[in-house]
Amino acid sequence: MAGTEEESAVKEPLDLIRLSLDERIYVKLRSDRELRGKLHAYDQHLNMILGDVEEIVTTVEIDDETYEEIVRTTKRTVPFLFVRGDGVILVSPPLRTAYIE
Amino acid sequence: MSGTEKSSGTTKTPADFLKSIRGRPVVVKLNSGVDYRVASDTSLVLSHIGVGILACLDGYMNIAMEQTEEYVNGQLKNKYGDAFIRGNNVLYISTSKRTLAEGA
Amino acid sequence: MANNPSQLLPSELIDRCIGSKIWVIMKGDKELVGTLRGFDVYVNMVLEDVTEYEITAEGRRITKLDQILLNGNNIAILVPGGSPDPE
Repeated sequence: MAGTEEESAVKEPLDLIRLSLDERIYVKLRSDRELRGKLHAYDQHLNMILGDVEEIVTTVEIDDETYEEIVRTTKRTVPFLFVRGDGVILVSPPLRTAYIE
Repeated sequence: MSGTEKSSGTTKTPADFLKSIRGRPVVVKLNSGVDYRVASDTSLVLSHIGVGILACLDGYMNIAMEQTEEYVNGQLKNKYGDAFIRGNNVLYISTSKRTLAEGA
Repeated sequence: MANNPSQLLPSELIDRCIGSKIWVIMKGDKELVGTLRGFDVYVNMVLEDVTEYEITAEGRRITKLDQILLNGNNIAILVPGGSPDPE
């Protein structure tokens, strides 16, 4: 079906995900959750199977007395998980370009 | 998304808009209030087409962006080399550089 | 649509707004005013010379935008003719 040019081209947004298979990706989810893990599989809804995952949950609390915002992050690791696509906000693949901050 | 297009000079359908923003810097704002824009000094942005062009968009408003900056409440929070944004989170796609006024 | 009493479909009403100001009230604390250039079956809209109003805890934040494609998904109310608010 395809030559190499066909396989590496990004013609639609999901191609960006396709090119990230078997790579570590960053996923931003609703309710301040972030995941980093290796992308094993995905579908058109952006349901995903990730392996060797680090999950970061960020919570903001308001201190009762000082009214200061207290930002807490909780990290945990999961060997293997399924992400339901409807919670996904953003997916960032590993850098393939020479873009440096 | 087609079939309702008019030949009138003042009409611009969403499909027309998407065609017209090829190769232009955009701001993508999400329902959560977060916004994404292309890093300031580049003009590589959205495209429907083309081998080797890395940024694009589909009918669900899923968006692939390059050199993306993430802003929350006007503050730069993150940079991504490549980013896929799931379309259901998109509030709008804008061509402009924004100006801000607080208060009132 | 056998018995539409108004004899005017909602989409026809929006169609008549093309070229003029329209006030868009979103679900949640957000409103936009701009000139309607076009729309599609999902009521995704192309708007020009847009003023976006966000009601936040700190007050009202105003953003000016040249041209946008607004996702129809979160639109609650459309008011032809623009906002009564003086800018």
